[in-house]
Amino acid sequence: MKILVCIKQVPDMESKFKVADSGKWYTTADLAWRMNEYDEYGVEQAVQVKEQIKDADITVLSIGSGQVKETMKKALAMGCDRGIHIQDETAFDKEPYQIAGIIAEYAKDKNFDLIFTGMQSQDRGSAQVGILVGEILDIPSVSTIVEFAYNEGDVDVSRELEGGIKAKMTVKLPAVFTCQLGLNTPRYPTLPNIMKAKKKELLTVAVADLLHVNARLVTEKMFLPEKKAGGVILEGEIAELADRLIAILKEKSTVLA
Amino acid sequence: MKILLVAEYRDGKLLTNSNELIGFAETLGAESAMVLIGGEEVPTYAGKLYLADVTACGECNPDLHKQVILEVIDKEQPDMIAFCHSSYGWDLAPRVAFALKAAQVSEVVAVSDGKLVVPVCNAKLRRTIDCQSSRIVATLQAGAFGLKEPPSGTPDVIKVDVAGSGRTVFRGYEAALGGGVDLSKAAVIVSAGRGIGKADNVGLIVKLAKALGGEYGASRPVVDSEWVPHDRQVGTTGQTVAPKLYVACGISGAIQHLAGMKKSDFIVAINTDRDAPIGEEADVLVVADLLQFVPVLTEKIQAL
Amino acid sequence: MEVSREIYWNVGHGLWTLFPMYLLTIVSIFVLVSASRKRIRLYQQGLPLHRSDQIGRRVWETFKNVVLQKKVVQATAPGIFHGLFFWCFLFLLVGTALIVAQADFTDLFFGIKFLKGTFYKMFSIILDVTGLVAIIALGLLFLWRYLFRWQGREDHGQYLVMHGLMMAILLTGFVIEGSRMAVTEIGTPLAQWSPVGNLIAQSIAWLDEDGLRLVHKSTWWLHFALVAGFIALIPYTKFRHILTTSSNSFFSDLGLKGKLTSLDLEDEDKETFGANAVKDMTWKDIFDTDACTSCERCQDRCPAYATGKPLSPMKLISQLGEAARNNPEANLIDVLSHDVLWSCTTCRACQEICPASIEHVSKIVELRRSMVLMEGEFPGEEVMAAMEQAEVNGNPFGIGYAGRGDWASELGVPTLAEGSDFDVLYFVGCYSSFDKRNIRVAKSFVELCKAAGVKVGILGKEEKCCGEPMRKMGNEYLYQSLAAENIEKIMSYGVQHIVTTCPHCFNTLNKDYQDLGLTGIEIEHHTVFLEKLLASGKLLIEAAPLSCTYHDSCYLGRHNDIYDAPRAILEKAGVTLVEMDKNRAEGFCCSAGGGRILAEEKLGERMNIKRVEMAAALGREVLVSNCPFCLTMFEDGVKGAEVEDKLRPKDIAEVLVERLC
Repeated sequence: MKILVCIKQVPDMESKFKVADSGKWYTTADLAWRMNEYDEYGVEQAVQVKEQIKDADITVLSIGSGQVKETMKKALAMGCDRGIHIQDETAFDKEPYQIAGIIAEYAKDKNFDLIFTGMQSQDRGSAQVGILVGEILDIPSVSTIVEFAYNEGDVDVSRELEGGIKAKMTVKLPAVFTCQLGLNTPRYPTLPNIMKAKKKELLTVAVADLLHVNARLVTEKMFLPEKKAGGVILEGEIAELADRLIAILKEKSTVLA
Repeated sequence: MKILLVAEYRDGKLLTNSNELIGFAETLGAESAMVLIGGEEVPTYAGKLYLADVTACGECNPDLHKQVILEVIDKEQPDMIAFCHSSYGWDLAPRVAFALKAAQVSEVVAVSDGKLVVPVCNAKLRRTIDCQSSRIVATLQAGAFGLKEPPSGTPDVIKVDVAGSGRTVFRGYEAALGGGVDLSKAAVIVSAGRGIGKADNVGLIVKLAKALGGEYGASRPVVDSEWVPHDRQVGTTGQTVAPKLYVACGISGAIQHLAGMKKSDFIVAINTDRDAPIGEEADVLVVADLLQFVPVLTEKIQAL
Repeated sequence: MEVSREIYWNVGHGLWTLFPMYLLTIVSIFVLVSASRKRIRLYQQGLPLHRSDQIGRRVWETFKNVVLQKKVVQATAPGIFHGLFFWCFLFLLVGTALIVAQADFTDLFFGIKFLKGTFYKMFSIILDVTGLVAIIALGLLFLWRYLFRWQGREDHGQYLVMHGLMMAILLTGFVIEGSRMAVTEIGTPLAQWSPVGNLIAQSIAWLDEDGLRLVHKSTWWLHFALVAGFIALIPYTKFRHILTTSSNSFFSDLGLKGKLTSLDLEDEDKETFGANAVKDMTWKDIFDTDACTSCERCQDRCPAYATGKPLSPMKLISQLGEAARNNPEANLIDVLSHDVLWSCTTCRACQEICPASIEHVSKIVELRRSMVLMEGEFPGEEVMAAMEQAEVNGNPFGIGYAGRGDWASELGVPTLAEGSDFDVLYFVGCYSSFDKRNIRVAKSFVELCKAAGVKVGILGKEEKCCGEPMRKMGNEYLYQSLAAENIEKIMSYGVQHIVTTCPHCFNTLNKDYQDLGLTGIEIEHHTVFLEKLLASGKLLIEAAPLSCTYHDSCYLGRHNDIYDAPRAILEKAGVTLVEMDKNRAEGFCCSAGGGRILAEEKLGERMNIKRVEMAAALGREVLVSNCPFCLTMFEDGVKGAEVEDKLRPKDIAEVLVERLC
């Protein structure tokens, strides 16, 4: 079985974001980088499938500058077999359709049985790429999965809907799955696997070789959201804070009346 | 400008989020039509409603739902197709956009000078989008486009036939674990976020909720850590709530959470970080350690 | 004629005595040696470890711990009983050896007798009294074990045999003396030099000489057989501690206290890290298990054991020994249990008190290394999350690394990257950088430095977690990568002097970083640094009273033996200090050591609450400590113990800053 896992390196969401001088994106100064959280679930699921059926080969793919290879090494240490790094200094500027186009172009003649992506990326949050890859390759896709079970060519999954309700679905392979938080518990790479990962194949391909579609949308402007008008900020000693809050609640809300 | 609104139906029920789609059309001042793959019940909406029979089409069948929507698009020729940014909408929108060769804008929170605005990096940033295709597919963040007045009118129903089957098989729904607390009916909700630190501190939140005569809830990380059962999760992947008073304790305000509670009448946030995104939604932000503040507040409220 | 006595009186010195006597001796020694050799093969299952360097120091350590019983007497009551028994045993052994030396060697071959005259009188009274003291001490030890050490033990049978045998040897010795004296010495002036023997002689003097001789002869042989039996039993019972515990003192770790061995992560051929089987432990780890006397001192002081966690350091050592003997292929982590291994706070209380020089902490860390590095296993998801956050942002909270120096901006503390002049590098640590409560400590420290005219610089966003909690949790890989980044920065700025406000950072930078290349830099904990500033008169404060107690953090106290500097500061500050029962080397851990700061305490009672309750019981207003982990735990603990309005936790720097002139 051939499995493709698509991962993205994203800034840690705890970082303080600032708009870049271009006004179109955030600056990368002082950001810490990590694997998109949703993608970690995809990597883990791929490795679990391999552990289940033994005969599987997992390719991890990522698009970005050279620094994304650090994140790819984590995926290799978690158990992916080989890496495809698509070198693109301006990957941040590519819209989901272009990213999906690049992935599909790479995957089209490789006969992947299973393709995993995150349900969305933590920075853009578009939730489009996985489904678009399925549409371009003309194979079924299921988004936002929280349960996954492979059995003999069929996959039973659960999609997470609102309010904790799940939709149970079955799909025949090949198919694309986009992973939601809670799908599994991504493993912590063991040291021998970290060592082995250093020796695994990690090919770099220029983005120009794979990007054959044009952007359908561009970012015109990036900005910091305005603070909600009228919001009060209370600071000070605990007991006094509680009194002030109770006074406000009595005045503005019917709850304590 | 014409917008096609895609309403939602699930597990035998029409969902109410179509009101937000109508609100969005109003915001844009656009002409609209609606499509629904549902049952007998129709939304309150003064306009054309293309209705496909869910029993023929099946629920959770993206291939056939896409086909219905594309047929309606073919008839209506809208400039924009709007979905809610929900498990239904974010799943179908890219399929429709791909078929139409349209740009898709996800999780629209506002319209500024006719351009769509979306959040970036957990709502820490925003960006306006310039679309370069003739048609646009958009998904709308829950709660971003409410109506000032409840909608009125009866739709002009046009039946749509469906035939065929999809590539995926739907095997039914599985109810939420925990028996299902309906937070949407609570007048007061006190929610715990990652800031509570550990399972033991959930008790502080429960006490405050009791003192205020309400229910307690939690953000996703707290639920994922199994400190609080899943059915108490507030946010896009949990319950969307709008109580009279919402108290967010140690919740920094990830976008998924904000979307699920921002329609509350009055929001109090308790957080050590005065720059936390929750501050943008809060009517009052108390800058304090919740572990110190909440017990004191609870005591004082009990003493009232 | 000079006073003396006839050796081999009544039993004779002929072949009929010597042959069975020496045969018995040889047999018992043969049993001892052959069984010991089998035992040595057990130790050889372990990995090599060099523990025979610095012979002089090792001999001195052994002398102190064996002959002087230094560590044994630390636990007062049983320690003194054991000490007395040991010294008496030693005298009796030497006395017996002198008798054998004279009778079967010097007198036999050269006709030299030295057991005579005044020397004999002294010899006689010393052995007589030590015999009595030994009986009393043994009786007390017996009572101690069977009154206070009864519960949870399965080895009562063995101890009964051991106590019984010792007692029988001592009593038969007196019967031999008494029966001999009743015939040969009673009524002579010499008899008063053996008061106990004399007493026995008088009490059996009603027997006729034949009867006395019969009693003497049979008891002599019984006594001899018991002694031979004792020698043969050494390798099969806890009597082996006579050999193993004293040797273990010789083999003890002479390296820096509490410094862990560094794993070589560059070695690409290495496939296993840490230990999960007997063969992965060192020979010393296995030898330790035989040196253990099951005295329970470790268990008595283990804060995890005291709060209902499944860990008992003593049980851990005995299970390890059991596995080495009977099940060497077993997975030690399963044998000992995961919860046991995760419960340790590496507080070192067990190791500090252990009279047998057993090294508990390094074993636990070695086993944890296997869990983390080989299996990716942690005590909970919260710990794994903290590890991942430290990988991304260099702190376990996952707060954006760029804000690490923000706390200092309003104080005008420069970062070294800004290139300004500095006297000391303040290595702030994660808690004092990000935690609101501990930022107050950092600010206090900086203010004190300013007042003393010391120019402080920080690394700001270039500083990373020192890696201590990760390392103690077993994550050597993450520790080494964090450490390497810190060391590179520290070296690049040519730092000469580092001060930390965290004893964990201090211990790690000062000791553990040496293996990774950080050497030749003066590294101090703020208590020591501030005490020097006070002593030199650079830091001026106005003494003011404060009712407080002081908590010795494990990493400043037991790991670094710094007990006096903080107390000297408090004294200069005008503080009246009331000590808790568990202070200094006996200090009770706050729960956050050993990486447990990253973990939820799911088992047993809360350790921090227990410690806070000890402090609160003294009725003082302030609980002074010297560690951000302790402070954090106590801030939680005063709430848990519901004494928030009575007891305030404070760092020692905060106490000082309130007293600045």
